[in-house]
Amino acid sequence: MKFTLNWLKEYVDLDLPVDVVADKLTMLGLEVDNVTELYQELDSTKVAEIITVRPHPDADRLTLCDVTVGEETFQVVCGAPNVKPGLLVPIALPGITMPGGLKVKKAAIRGQESSGMLCSEKDLGISENHSGIMELPDTARAGQSLSEALSLRDTLIEVDLTPNRPDCTSVIGIAREVAGFTSQKLNQPVKNDLPHLTGEGVPFSVEILDPADCPRYAARLLKNVTIAPSPWWLRKRLLSVGLRPINNVVDITNLVMLEYGQPLHAFDFDRLAGGKIVVRRARAGEDIVTLDGEKRKLDQEMLLICDAEKPVAVAGVMGGENSEVVESSKNILLESACFNPISVRRTARQLNLGTEASYRFERGVDPELQPIAMERAVQLLVEIAGAEAVDNGYDCVAGSTERQTIKLRVSRNNDLLGMELDSMEITRLLESIELMVTQVDDDTLLVTPPGFRVDLEREVDLIEEVARLQGYNEIPTSMPVVPMSFPEQQPGLELRKKLAARLVSLGFYEAINYSFVDENHFDRLKLDDNDPIRNAVALLNPLSEDQKIMRTMILPSLLQNISRNTSRQNNDIRLFEIGKVFHPVADEPLPNENMRLAGVISGRRLPGSSLLHFETTAVDVYDCKGIVEGILQEVRISKAVSTVFRNEVNVVPRYIQPDSYIVFQTGDKTLGALGKIDPEVLKGFGIKQDVFFFDLDFDMLAESKPEPKLFRQLPKFPSVDRDIALVVPEAVASGELLSAIDNACEALVESVEIFDIYRGDSVGAGNKSVAVTLTYRSAGQTLDDNTVNKVHQRLIKMLEKDFQGKLREAV
Amino acid sequence: MEQELLQLQAEAVTKLSTLESQKDLEELRVRYLGRKGLFTGLLRQLGKVSAEDRPRLGQLANQIKEELDQKFTARKSELAGSDTGAAIIRDDLSLPGRIAPFGRLHPVTQIMDEVCSIFIDLGFAVAEGPDVELDYYNFEALNIPKHHPARDMHDTFYINDSILLRTHTSPMQIRAMEKERPPLRIIAPGKVYRCDSDITHTPMFHQVEGFLVDRKVSFADLKGILSVFCQKMFDQSDIGLRFRPSFFPFTEPSAEVDIGCVICRGEGCRVCKQTGWLEILGAGMIDPEVLKMVDYDPEEFSGFAFGLGIERIAMLKYGIDDIRLFYENDLRFLKQF
Repeated sequence: MKFTLNWLKEYVDLDLPVDVVADKLTMLGLEVDNVTELYQELDSTKVAEIITVRPHPDADRLTLCDVTVGEETFQVVCGAPNVKPGLLVPIALPGITMPGGLKVKKAAIRGQESSGMLCSEKDLGISENHSGIMELPDTARAGQSLSEALSLRDTLIEVDLTPNRPDCTSVIGIAREVAGFTSQKLNQPVKNDLPHLTGEGVPFSVEILDPADCPRYAARLLKNVTIAPSPWWLRKRLLSVGLRPINNVVDITNLVMLEYGQPLHAFDFDRLAGGKIVVRRARAGEDIVTLDGEKRKLDQEMLLICDAEKPVAVAGVMGGENSEVVESSKNILLESACFNPISVRRTARQLNLGTEASYRFERGVDPELQPIAMERAVQLLVEIAGAEAVDNGYDCVAGSTERQTIKLRVSRNNDLLGMELDSMEITRLLESIELMVTQVDDDTLLVTPPGFRVDLEREVDLIEEVARLQGYNEIPTSMPVVPMSFPEQQPGLELRKKLAARLVSLGFYEAINYSFVDENHFDRLKLDDNDPIRNAVALLNPLSEDQKIMRTMILPSLLQNISRNTSRQNNDIRLFEIGKVFHPVADEPLPNENMRLAGVISGRRLPGSSLLHFETTAVDVYDCKGIVEGILQEVRISKAVSTVFRNEVNVVPRYIQPDSYIVFQTGDKTLGALGKIDPEVLKGFGIKQDVFFFDLDFDMLAESKPEPKLFRQLPKFPSVDRDIALVVPEAVASGELLSAIDNACEALVESVEIFDIYRGDSVGAGNKSVAVTLTYRSAGQTLDDNTVNKVHQRLIKMLEKDFQGKLREAV
Repeated sequence: MEQELLQLQAEAVTKLSTLESQKDLEELRVRYLGRKGLFTGLLRQLGKVSAEDRPRLGQLANQIKEELDQKFTARKSELAGSDTGAAIIRDDLSLPGRIAPFGRLHPVTQIMDEVCSIFIDLGFAVAEGPDVELDYYNFEALNIPKHHPARDMHDTFYINDSILLRTHTSPMQIRAMEKERPPLRIIAPGKVYRCDSDITHTPMFHQVEGFLVDRKVSFADLKGILSVFCQKMFDQSDIGLRFRPSFFPFTEPSAEVDIGCVICRGEGCRVCKQTGWLEILGAGMIDPEVLKMVDYDPEEFSGFAFGLGIERIAMLKYGIDDIRLFYENDLRFLKQF
């Protein structure tokens, strides 16, 4: 809502500085967004009187004007058609910079000296009108500054209105709040008694067929209107708040709307068939061309204003072209109505047509305002447009407009606000904004809100008014008294922090990506057409193509992050994200939201570490596996998780290099996977370096049962180490040697570790040597060679047999 | 034996005076006085000399060793002065230390954790809800029926007529109250979505919703909790705080809360648009209509709710001027926090 300080002062005496007014309004819940000094840049523009006008000797379209701004007379060259002697016009003298940026200089135009520039409204930045020089009213004096002559100086105030205050979509509404805090009475423009409108004897009729959607409809006829541009004061009002003046009739309806908050509409009466107004719902297949020239298809829920034959306006939204007031219009039917907010809102939405009128109707217009706003507009039409107001008119009221009375308990007020106000203070506050208050007893007040406060319906609404008027900052500050209880935190919250901290200490940065992604990701990952992961939740109204579906996997977003970073010369990357993916569930309204922990690594193994101290080796799949193993250790579920790799997996997703794929399982459930991204896929994402990823089901991690922490006695006796180097065929998975030793359940084996893999001539083609070191220890004694050797030999035999291995000589 | 001892002493003393570096000195010390050094070797032979000579020789040996020790120590401190050049070559302490690489949490997570931990310390429980939400929880149950102008305040992404991406974390009020009876102290952090994108808006951002419901909870209590929160969050015990009337369909009275500008301390600057105040959160007393929706009797119970945007706080705290940076995951950005 925009208004100016001078406009506000028409309805209330105000000598407070503008920043105080702005602060007061803000603290009353009318948040002032912006305060702008208007037309400051026009201070140096002067009023000039044109003395003589002569044609330019060398240019047909130019004239030479002798003008004066007081004493001396000088010549300016002008191209406007409307210059004539005696005219008072704005002049920009040399040295002035125009609002558009043009610097005015003394110059010769086609050989004739010009000592300034006569200005149009557009030149001055007042309006878009550039049809001629702006003609100033007779009250202006040559030499006066333009802003003084036109009383231009003013302050624009913009209030960011909340939807609950429709009464403040008007300057009078704002003035009422000001009157409240300055303890004044509002000075309203309509002072006389309103005429009693009965509908008798007027040459038109009004019929409301849908009273629920149109509780009130007032109409009056004005004859012999002269359509013309509005006088300056009226145009200035509209221009100052950014509205384009059109003609006196339209401008008056707009002015009254801004003044009172009541949208009005003027019909060309001679174009209304049968002199009839019918308010009804649209019929199937009906349409209308609205004032903006658009043909609108109507549905049966939309409320229309019709004449005897056809729709002439979409009620509360926009008038129709077929009954528009035009230059030739003579007789005018003025509408001042109240429409159902929901109906107007629905229609405006459906037609995608929001107007100043619909904005006000859908928030709720005071049902008592129609005859007042009507009277104001009629007076102005008579005064400005020379209209003859036909006596009487219609004011159809459907349903009751009786004001509701609300019970307000002082105790309830104080309990909810935490204050100690008495009924006197509450009464004083509410009466300051025109609410009627009657005291029933010490604790009970009966409050009747005025018609313009359509938002006040319940006790709590009144309590809010008390708080607002008292000032929120006057409410004391206390701490709630709540019984102690143990807050059960969201499962997984702690784990999320723990794992994030672990990854950060491993050199990872945390990424957060949008939950909606590009559908083309699936193709970029070369997923099969029937891959279930393609089944995604789609948005009806995405902002762009690349934010069309809710993600079903995090990986593509992380690949995009890598691409972005490598293209900015950051090639050593460790990123992780803990976030949701969304999978539709059959017969369920909401998708399954599954929290994942996903990460990517690429570039140097130790990103960002000192080149002096650390190696610059690139990451490989063991880095990736180690990260996941570390996570499993942190969660303490390493033993419960099995890994499946290589040929044991039937289907390797096509975006992963098959020989790098590892799947982690707990029982028969898949916990997650890791692997190296296929280079072709990477190319699709614009990545030229190796990328390894991991992706784990975070929910599953959070729900898993960690291995208990259990103390074991520290060993009392020394251990004995023994190595084995076993030559086995390449096909043997080295890790299985370890499992086999574990599974042998030799009591003396404390631990076993692979320490070398060797390939070369000495072990033969197609073979490799796997070297393991075993640690033997007994809890009860120091081991002797003999005892250890027995076990050691047993294990070697077992390995040789199970893995077609041969002990390698000379280890 | 005696001869050998004296000769060894003389040798050592001569060499000691000619050597020039600490390194050489240390080598010399090991050679003569070390555990396997020449002097120790001689002492071992003490056992082989006659019993009558033994005490005298032993005394002499000890005396010589003491003298040599002193001489080595003295020479060592002499050399320390002239020896610094060599020391730098071995331990140039201007070189960086050997730090294993580490990363950072996303700034949004850092702020989110800070916010949550303040409320957890106040006894609040953390609860999260779905991002894809029913219209009922996001709007209807929060007193925002279809065709309410307040829906204009939310540019909503829809999945279909009745399912949408939540536009705030307020639906958790309803979900939590449906499950439990008061007293309730809950915060609901999470992602929220609005179809809006420019320098100050991203289509996804993060909010924390908080609410407390019990008997006789008042607006004064709301002010108390939020005052503590703002003081802790901005680490400023005298932080300016101002409550302005506002409107949310699910609270009444509703308030917008401003803090004294953390950039200019209330003097007026670009960030606070010269007002000295920064809008930081929305709050209010839970509307009786909302309580009725979950079968709480508004005569018996009252409560307050508040909601704040994490990105906004991060932008204020860290001076970030473009919200879109949060979701580009550019390492040059992430490394700064």
